[in-house]
Amino acid sequence: MSLAAFALRRVLVTIPLLLLVMLATFALMRGTGGSPFEPPEGYVGVPYQQERVLRRHYRLDEPWFLEFAVYVKNVATLNFGPSLVNRHLTVDDVIRGALPVTLELVLLAAAWAVPVGVALGVWAGVRRGSARDLAATSGATFLLALPVFFVAYLLSTYLVTRWQLVPDGWETNGAKVLPALALGLAPVGYVARLIRTAVVEALQEDYVRTARAKGLRERRVIWVHVLRNSLAPFLAGAVPMIALLVTGAFFVEQAFDIPGASTFFLDAAFTRDYPMLMGLTVVLAVLVLAANLVSDVLLAAADPRVREAQAR
Amino acid sequence: MIPRALRGRATAPAAVVLVLLLAYVLLWPAVSPYDSQAIDLDGGRQGPSLAHPLGTDQFGRDLLTRLAAGGRTSLLIAGGALAVILLLGWAYGMAAALAGGRVDATMMRAVDGLLAIPRLPIAIIVLVLLGFQAQNVWATVLALSVGGWMLTARLVRGHVLTVKTRDYVRASRAAGARWGYVARRHVVPNSAGVVLVAALLELPAVVVGEAFLSLLGVGPQAPIATWGSIAYEGWRFSRTREMALATAAIALFAVCANVLADAFGDALDPRRGPAA
Repeated sequence: MSLAAFALRRVLVTIPLLLLVMLATFALMRGTGGSPFEPPEGYVGVPYQQERVLRRHYRLDEPWFLEFAVYVKNVATLNFGPSLVNRHLTVDDVIRGALPVTLELVLLAAAWAVPVGVALGVWAGVRRGSARDLAATSGATFLLALPVFFVAYLLSTYLVTRWQLVPDGWETNGAKVLPALALGLAPVGYVARLIRTAVVEALQEDYVRTARAKGLRERRVIWVHVLRNSLAPFLAGAVPMIALLVTGAFFVEQAFDIPGASTFFLDAAFTRDYPMLMGLTVVLAVLVLAANLVSDVLLAAADPRVREAQAR
Repeated sequence: MIPRALRGRATAPAAVVLVLLLAYVLLWPAVSPYDSQAIDLDGGRQGPSLAHPLGTDQFGRDLLTRLAAGGRTSLLIAGGALAVILLLGWAYGMAAALAGGRVDATMMRAVDGLLAIPRLPIAIIVLVLLGFQAQNVWATVLALSVGGWMLTARLVRGHVLTVKTRDYVRASRAAGARWGYVARRHVVPNSAGVVLVAALLELPAVVVGEAFLSLLGVGPQAPIATWGSIAYEGWRFSRTREMALATAAIALFAVCANVLADAFGDALDPRRGPAA
């Protein structure tokens, strides 16, 4: 099975998955009590005139399968529709305005956390059993166990609010450092532990002995032969790592007053703004599934056995 | 995932710390001279003293007592969510693996799809479904369960698939046993171990999950104390001590459960060998 065929196959499998995600979210929304047109205290709903327009737009008064079909059709043409609560806002506004901020935050955190985690994991793995390995691995476990909300709280309360050493928000590059730092700590621990385990296992393989026996430098053995084989567990760990980053982004954005998507998601939850919740969830699922897809294809490119297993 | 050298040595201390933490959480509210919810506005924001070893919070509540009572609720939520997660995940994984073939492939693809949404957004959506008026302990249990059963299902399925290829299962089949009998006699009893590992793996996730929901203001509402709600009040009133205490309790619990999960995982998998 060629790599292209493998990739195409994975793309085709992803589409029903996405429909499933949409149907699951839709079912949850549809089954709910309460109405977005009677928002809780502190929120202003839309006027009656607009309610009628919105009901027609989303086919809210028609059978669920019709409502769902129209919604899927609209989403397929990248039209996520207006908010049911805020008359001046559409879901597309949030996806174009706020979501990129969240994405930037997540990517900045991953950009420093993954290399640091890999380096730490390799460093600990080649020294397995030593005191330095123990220190590095305990450190990684500590980072993973340290809740992101606590780090975000400490950094924002002291460095931003009390001592005013760093600006809050998301306008300047200086303001982006602390949030990216806070969000990346748990992924560092996660990646380091993952890579360490993979390195320890790979070091016991015959091909490593062969590589050493034919006189390769230790550096090359580690960074080429060993690390290449820890790619599989690393890519398999991509989804949990994305979950860490997305979950953490909620708290980091709240702590540092970052105008990302999490505030819109929470507000939409409080006001039962279904299209907003669904739109953001669907886009999130698309991003995660796409990341998953890329990691699978990378894995297949690195390891022909994966391609063959899929073909069977 | 903990290094082998640490594994053997860390297991016993982790178990002891976990038992001590459980004893504190379960017993201290009964022994303590204070009520975890009694408000004393004159005695708020005290530092540590003999009367209040961990000080008092914004509303003058004794933090040592409140942390224990909060832990009790947090662990009740965690236990409830864990029970639902294990039951759902076990049944789903078992069904997929026993069915095999296309059914198995389709069922596991569905799990892949559901795993594409991190569990925090799923939990929030479930709470929306429950309409928020029921912002109590059981709503939180349900919210955490709905997003949490997929990894257990995957774990159980993988385990059952390997059991299906074992010699004793093949011998049983060769001797003429029906699949239903083999499943009852060999496969189901053999899944006890993997369920235990799944439980220890999910335990920290549900405890942390409760804290996440509470910190976003959608967990059980005041005056119910949970570790998450104590952290939430710390966040709102910029009280670092509450934040640190609740975080320490959650993190300590999570790390101990993780260490035990690794140890049990090793013990159940002879190929991985004992701790060095």
